[in-house]
Amino acid sequence: MRTFRTIVTTALVGASVGAVSPSHAEDINNQIQQLDQKVRILERKLEIADENAKAAAEKTPVAKADASGFSFAAPDKSFEIKFRGLIQQDARFWFNDDENPQSDTFLLRRVRPTIEGTVGKNGEFRFTPEFAGSSTTLLDAYTGYKFSDAVRLRAGKFKSPLGLERLQSGSDIRFIERAHPTSLAPNRDVGLQLSGDLVKDVLTYEAGVFNGVVDGGSADSDTSDDKDFVGRLFATPFKTTEIDALRGLGLGIAGSIGKEEGSGTTTGLASYRTPGQVRVFSYLTSTNAADNVLADGDRTRIAPQLTYYYGPLGVIGEYIVSSQEVRKDDQATTLDNDAWQIATTYVLTGEENSFRGINPARPFDLAKGQWGAFELAARYSELNVDDQTFPTYANPNRSVAGIQSWALGLNWYLTRNLRSSLTYENSSFDGGAAKGADREDEEILFARFQVSF
Amino acid sequence: MKHTIKKTLTVLTAALLAVGATAKDITILNVSYDPTREFYDEFNQVFAAKWKAETGENVTIKQSHGGAGKQARAVIDGLQADVVTLALAYDIDAIAEKARLIPKEWQSRLPDNSSPYVSTIVFLVRKGNPKGIKDWGDLVKPGVSVITPNPKTSGGARWNYLAAWAYELGRNGGDQAGAQEFIRKLYKNVPVLDSGARGSTTTFVQRGIGDVFLSWENEAYLAIKEFGDDYEVVFPSVSILAEPPVTVIDKVVDKRGTRAVAEAYLNFLYSEEGQELAAKHFYRPRLASVAAKHKQRFPDINLITIDDVFGGWQEAQATHFNDGGTFDQIYGK
Repeated sequence: MRTFRTIVTTALVGASVGAVSPSHAEDINNQIQQLDQKVRILERKLEIADENAKAAAEKTPVAKADASGFSFAAPDKSFEIKFRGLIQQDARFWFNDDENPQSDTFLLRRVRPTIEGTVGKNGEFRFTPEFAGSSTTLLDAYTGYKFSDAVRLRAGKFKSPLGLERLQSGSDIRFIERAHPTSLAPNRDVGLQLSGDLVKDVLTYEAGVFNGVVDGGSADSDTSDDKDFVGRLFATPFKTTEIDALRGLGLGIAGSIGKEEGSGTTTGLASYRTPGQVRVFSYLTSTNAADNVLADGDRTRIAPQLTYYYGPLGVIGEYIVSSQEVRKDDQATTLDNDAWQIATTYVLTGEENSFRGINPARPFDLAKGQWGAFELAARYSELNVDDQTFPTYANPNRSVAGIQSWALGLNWYLTRNLRSSLTYENSSFDGGAAKGADREDEEILFARFQVSF
Repeated sequence: MKHTIKKTLTVLTAALLAVGATAKDITILNVSYDPTREFYDEFNQVFAAKWKAETGENVTIKQSHGGAGKQARAVIDGLQADVVTLALAYDIDAIAEKARLIPKEWQSRLPDNSSPYVSTIVFLVRKGNPKGIKDWGDLVKPGVSVITPNPKTSGGARWNYLAAWAYELGRNGGDQAGAQEFIRKLYKNVPVLDSGARGSTTTFVQRGIGDVFLSWENEAYLAIKEFGDDYEVVFPSVSILAEPPVTVIDKVVDKRGTRAVAEAYLNFLYSEEGQELAAKHFYRPRLASVAAKHKQRFPDINLITIDDVFGGWQEAQATHFNDGGTFDQIYGK
């Protein structure tokens, strides 16, 4: 604009050259001054409009709709609300299920709208109901406050910080169902937790006190006065180094300690399921209260865990041992059940693998000839029930003593938000059938279409 | 267990006492209008030194400046001002009424209607006064370009507007319609509406736009001080007594525990030292002794008051500046 003003002025001065009449020169001079004022006024108006636009932008809430969800936020993000969601539509097909027939079925595995956000920069909240299944349940509901990167307080119902794969989001797990260690880890529990970075990008911690839930269980309240203390340390010791091959290595250890006392209405003990979600182990129960097996004392869990990501390769491994003092009538003991898994995935299309999922470099678009990202997955997993369990605490003809499962998977990430998956999983069992025989293998093909944002 | 609890409480108490013992750094926020920057820059330093000497506490006074109306709205919207020092009482009334952060009778809490210094509206013209502007009547002549901010957002602009209105009422014998037509003509000569007085100074002085700038007296002198001989001040035959008021924001100071320092800060404005600083920055002091000392700097003008001509700020605001008021009628045309 200033250039324009200079050009106009120069042109007019140039045009005045040769003018001989003093009055004519004065007229031209006046015109130049008037034009100069008009240009200055236009410039100033633009300047003010820019200032007003900036001031308005600083106050205008920011609405976003992108791959990470839908949100409204104050310009400085001190207040923000996000709307997120996860919908998984599954199909399950059983093979060779003559002895324990199962119904091939379509089902909604997860239907979870989430509202989360920040209040006053450091406050946070999240609310997630679960609409899949026979009834609506409250999955997550918590509030929190971030004092610093090292100290974050969270209160409410959320994932207890123990099982590695349990802590992985349901939208990011690489097989349709999680592996056996998750059967021994607490799921959602109500309590208080502190978490944060002990060493930024290298060492994180979580420590909390919770009501305490059975293996694999969730609950909204406690049935006893005793509480569980749960803690987890997770290190990525090479993340900040230049050693590319080790930067994605993560090592962790988690544990819990508490007491559980069963009663006539709640045994305080868990059942275990197959990958197809068929219950294959449960403690003895009876209409005669004295014959029920009950939790009766200390419950501890220890869970070493590992992750490794290098380019398109990903590996996770974990082991969990869950120990629980149990009682049946006048007999009591401590039962140690354990489980482990090792799973590896490889992104065929070359994208970076990570604990948080895959972001396809060429999102699905037929018009552009783009197909998204493809990933192969393989897993082996075991669950072992303590030998002392049988026959006093569980019926060996109905409950299995161990499960060994292997699985192969193919994941197709159409976009960051759309995913389709196939998993074939074969599980063999120790015991669990009449006369001490092994239960028939479970062979199942899972399919899933998932939308997450 | 009891021993452990006792020990923990002792440690916590000691920690709290330690924190208390070192909590001598105080920060307060003064939300003010546009032209007071330089005055409060210096005043804050002098007050902080005085407060430190008297109490041993370090006080930092943060400043926020802008059009008075915008500043008042920011406080109403949640800006945590410990004190406000705005251009006119109406904007502080709005803080009392809309946000209920201060009592309605806030203006009676300090002397002189809570206005420790006063000012007026003058004309700043270019050197030699090429358009020969001497009084308000010259502003409506064709070809005269007038710079004044937007009265919707600027307290100073509202004083300008009302001073011009009062001049025409005095001249035409109280004809309100005539005054409105006079103002319409005046604003027809306004090429740019800034949101605050400081923006208008930029428009007139730095961008070289306009023939006359309707300015706070102190702002006019500051322009001359900074840009020397390029400008002249013209005192019109009549102007308006502008009383920029001040108050603590009760709910903020009580929440933040800053009432003592905030009240002392405002009281210091009334002290001889505070009044001298006000005069130094071209605000007319209230204290007679200081006013007499600086008589030369502040010529006597016929100053009308808002109460006498317009029935107070509430009425003036409702008639002229609220949505649909005379300004909207004039500027919309």
